[in-house]
Amino acid sequence: MGILIKNGVVYDPAQGIYGEKMDISIDGDKIVEDVSSPERVIDAEGRLVVPGGVELHSHIAGGKVNAGRIMRPEDGRKGRAPRGRLTRACSGFSILNTFSTGYTYARMGYTTTFEAAMPPLLARHTHEEFEDMPITDKGALVLLDNNWMTMEYVKAGDLDRLAAYVSWMFGATKAYGIKIVNPGGVEAWGWGKNCSINDPVPHFDVTPKEIIRALAKVNEELKLPHSIHIHCNDLGHPGNFETTLETYEAVKDITASSDRQVMHATHTQFHAYGGSSWKDFESKADAIADYVNKNDHITIDLGAVMFCDTTTMTADGPMEYSLHTLSRRKWSNHDVELETGSGIIPVAYSPKVPVNAIQWAVGIELALLIEDPWKVVLTTDHPNGCPFTFYPEIIALLMSKPKREEMLKGVSDAVGRRALIATIDRELTWGEIITMTRSAPAKILGLSESKGTLRVGADADVAIYDIMPESFDPAKGYREIEEKLMRTFYTVKGGEVVVKDGEIVATPPGRTYWVNPVGERAHAMREEMLKDLEAKFDAYYTVSMANYPVQDEYLSHPLEIRAG
Amino acid sequence: MAKITLTMRSSITVPLEAEVITPDGLAGKSEEEIKSLTVYHGNREMKLGDFFDVSVEGSGDPASTEIIMKGDLTRVKRIGEGMTAGSIVIEGSCDMHCGALMRGGKITVKGDADAWAGREMRGGELVIEGNAGNYLGAGYRGEMTGMRGGKITVEGDAGDYIGEHMAGGEILVKGNVGILPGLSMTGGRIIIEGSATMPGGEMTKGEIIVKGEVYDMLPGFRFEGEEEIEGKRFRKHTGDLAVRGVGKGVLLLG
Amino acid sequence: MATETVTDVICPLCGSLCDDIEVIVEAGRITNVKKACPLGKSKIMGHGRIRAPMVREGGELREVSYDVAIERSAEILSDAKRPLLYGWSSLICEAQRKGVELAEEIGALIDNTASVCHGPTVIGVQGKGSPGCTLGEVKNRADLVVFWGCNPAEAHPRHRARYSHAAKGFFRPGGKKDRKVYVVDVRETKTAKVADEFIRVEPGYDYMVFSALRTILAGHEDVVPDTVGGVEKSKLIEMVDAMKSCEFGIIFGGMGLTHSRGRYKNLENVISLVDELNAHTKFTLMPMRGHYNVTGSGHTFAWLTGYPFAVDFSRGYAWYNPGETAANDVLLRGEVDAMMAIAADPGAHFPGESLRHMAKIPLIQIDPYPNPTTELADVVIPSAISGVEVAGTAYRMDGVPIRTRKIVDTDYLSDEEILERILTRVRELRR
Repeated sequence: MGILIKNGVVYDPAQGIYGEKMDISIDGDKIVEDVSSPERVIDAEGRLVVPGGVELHSHIAGGKVNAGRIMRPEDGRKGRAPRGRLTRACSGFSILNTFSTGYTYARMGYTTTFEAAMPPLLARHTHEEFEDMPITDKGALVLLDNNWMTMEYVKAGDLDRLAAYVSWMFGATKAYGIKIVNPGGVEAWGWGKNCSINDPVPHFDVTPKEIIRALAKVNEELKLPHSIHIHCNDLGHPGNFETTLETYEAVKDITASSDRQVMHATHTQFHAYGGSSWKDFESKADAIADYVNKNDHITIDLGAVMFCDTTTMTADGPMEYSLHTLSRRKWSNHDVELETGSGIIPVAYSPKVPVNAIQWAVGIELALLIEDPWKVVLTTDHPNGCPFTFYPEIIALLMSKPKREEMLKGVSDAVGRRALIATIDRELTWGEIITMTRSAPAKILGLSESKGTLRVGADADVAIYDIMPESFDPAKGYREIEEKLMRTFYTVKGGEVVVKDGEIVATPPGRTYWVNPVGERAHAMREEMLKDLEAKFDAYYTVSMANYPVQDEYLSHPLEIRAG
Repeated sequence: MAKITLTMRSSITVPLEAEVITPDGLAGKSEEEIKSLTVYHGNREMKLGDFFDVSVEGSGDPASTEIIMKGDLTRVKRIGEGMTAGSIVIEGSCDMHCGALMRGGKITVKGDADAWAGREMRGGELVIEGNAGNYLGAGYRGEMTGMRGGKITVEGDAGDYIGEHMAGGEILVKGNVGILPGLSMTGGRIIIEGSATMPGGEMTKGEIIVKGEVYDMLPGFRFEGEEEIEGKRFRKHTGDLAVRGVGKGVLLLG
Repeated sequence: MATETVTDVICPLCGSLCDDIEVIVEAGRITNVKKACPLGKSKIMGHGRIRAPMVREGGELREVSYDVAIERSAEILSDAKRPLLYGWSSLICEAQRKGVELAEEIGALIDNTASVCHGPTVIGVQGKGSPGCTLGEVKNRADLVVFWGCNPAEAHPRHRARYSHAAKGFFRPGGKKDRKVYVVDVRETKTAKVADEFIRVEPGYDYMVFSALRTILAGHEDVVPDTVGGVEKSKLIEMVDAMKSCEFGIIFGGMGLTHSRGRYKNLENVISLVDELNAHTKFTLMPMRGHYNVTGSGHTFAWLTGYPFAVDFSRGYAWYNPGETAANDVLLRGEVDAMMAIAADPGAHFPGESLRHMAKIPLIQIDPYPNPTTELADVVIPSAISGVEVAGTAYRMDGVPIRTRKIVDTDYLSDEEILERILTRVRELRR
């Protein structure tokens, strides 16, 4: 029984393994010490063998993603493929249908994918789409920051009930972690307004910073596996790096409940801008990287931009509208009662447009300027910076200065004046790339026991790429990186070969992670909290409380993690 | 020079999708090779030879290849889709998407062409001697750009929404058109010799000339005075100001 | 006899998806329904059902077993070159998902009832986007509500009380007193009679009225003629002022927009109006969806295929192009050679020319109830009533997914089970 992968050149940064020729044994759905009589032997013949990729921030399932699909048939037609013997029909370039999402991640060697923003009232929708997204293990971060219950408890300074509320919401929405998106700003958008980090939220009279701090404290009190996961205020605004740094600083004094960060700041590229207008817009990746290099309570992911016609989608409704007024193509918005909102617009990033070119530079710069790869995760904030299918090309940019030089020839010369990329010589190693795409996201999510490693006992999620690290020069061979990282030689998910030679060969359903906070803190004030919540449902929600929680039927392959 | 004649043997009701029928797709191929090309009939993959008699005279590159299509082609879709050179003569009427995404060469439809003829066209010439359907020279659902270049001439009438999202090139309709020609137009020129209803909705650039009657003039156009073109006087309007006041399209009414 | 009251029941009738219904069950039968509107009550109480599966032989429908009806359906569908699977709006998402799988398997066109109701809204969204919100936002914040081409007083009876006109919300504790309601329509509807303002538009002139409103909003009222579409310019200016100066506005758009001249272009124009109003204040738009889960069918189709309706799988991949691939596009051209109607009644709602073609081709009906479609059907398969006899997901008109409840048991197969069995059999036949 089991699978033996032999003669691989293994990178497993979680175990300090960087390019060792060794065998990997799989029994059932786990990595084991050795497997005596393997059912299947895969001879990697010196190829790159790594843990399955871990996507910690991607917009792949739920109301907003689907609103994007509905709004953009022109995007749908770009990625079409007919059904196959094992596979369903595929569509979409920046907003893939659920099947294509699962297949494409698996073909690229990713086996775990987290949806970055789930509105509680629409949680059922996210889970329904997960059911139709094959192969990868999944989880969703739930939006709790612009929530009226949260803001009222923060205003009252009642973290006891806030903890009870957060824990109840995890069960009700089957969530994995707390997501914060433009705290306060999305509630303000209910009136067409926005908030920066110290602006009082209209009517609720709390500041975004107070919301962030309260949720960070509750997150640690509940001992949740992941930290708070934040999309800062002022996304996309020239000069926003100061807000970003102030956000990081705001939680510095809070102690993490486990060996991880206190705050994960997402798609940092969109939050690392200097200047005071679009005219003097500039990269502040150095300032952000400097802070991250000096502090251990923060991790980030990139949200890298690549040049293409993509779709932006976020719970940050006011930001999307403001962006829409620049491009004026089409705009969707969906405010969710008492909880959150969302906006969607198509965006074409052009290398000739100075602002776009600088955005591209910032994403790459962050990865190159942050010294410790355990603090920075490769993402494109799919599909906001570009679709996740650009990962291979981004990796090529990070590993190869010649690739960067080639690309710089075609971008606006504003990059030379108002960004740093041309001055950076660092070329990342395979060890660093594998850390940023596997080990680090798994640790940041609090899943380092089972994901992002090939340690004995971990989930048997393995990617084998048709690259021979021992004889391959990434700086010169960047085109090969782009090609080979798009389609694995093999992808193994949960002990099952799902991709061979870049083709899908099995489509098992993935599992859905959710966190159940069961500690004292989660339950102490539950009864009192529920009275407040019932009052909210009676008076202000338009669904009854009995119909609100996501039923077990929506998670056919649940993986519950008890926290606390 | 090559002349390829495709003769449809009988009438069909389930439409045939035959985007392979372009000079680019057929040039340099033998009769047998052409017969074995794939076409789609409903949910069945078929061979071109299952429906057409094929004859090939001479040979040449796409630019020097002429395709003559005969028989009942009213249910053959996507003829000439994406063609870059050469010519197609359709001796009768054809189904939707004729000349869609065309970049060069010439298509002549002796009869009528159904909807989306010249959709997203970038170059070349499409002549429809009969009538055209809706969405002539328009875009695909959700796209912000329709026709970008080339020329479409319709000897008869055309349907609704012609030139929607048109960004360049020219459409000439010698008869009447339906509602909202030149909708959301951003460039190019539409000339309508007959009548039109609500022309120029949300146009921001480009030019629409209507020589016949205009029904239901939209309220967001500013009258700019009279202008003479080729000895004929036109009333010039600019708009559509409904678009945040920025519409600078030109509507010339005869 | 045991009497049970089931609470928080979801009403499987219209897109309002009221979820506060109480159903009284005695000895496994529904004997009363409380809180629902008369339309919803009638749906939940049930009425004459199709008794058993039927197959047409010699012109007459004869009762057969489920097995026989399913076998016959599988034969029809696996033989077809241009099959059409239509309906999908009065059932749950679980069945819709199975339907898409069947459509892919047989290379069918799959279309939902949006193509004869709010399809134009969806196409409008594809042109301009969808600036919307959930109904609770309207309830808690809206101080200006516009019902344009819709008549909730008759078509969505509890909508005004629960969500829009009279609903008391956090920032609008006075309900009706705290908001102004406009009705814009071609006739003075029941809703118009209870509104603060009624504006009558000439039939077919909505597009021009939106253009006029946008031109005024853009500061160019000087070019707007004295009347547009039968509405005086002064009234239009007044309306723009009201929309600009409210704190939170919403336009509910109805079939008056989707089914009058310009169709989806009316929607594109009103979406842009709403978009542009957001430069001044908060403004949103929502279509008044009809069938209780037509919104869900758009969602399931979209995440499975990439597109919300009118999806053609004939070439293995999904191709979407209403005007070419919607149910009536292909029926009116006589292309379809076999059809399934599920949870919809095309027999009552499609144009005569489409019905004449439906009469010529093999037609399978899956539905709990007999209706005019039954008269044309060659195979009739009765199903359990979603939301009464089967639990599953439905999406409210604002995209909020709610799990409908199973209230009573049934011997009828669910839509999902019927489809699964047809799919299994089709796969065997095609092998």
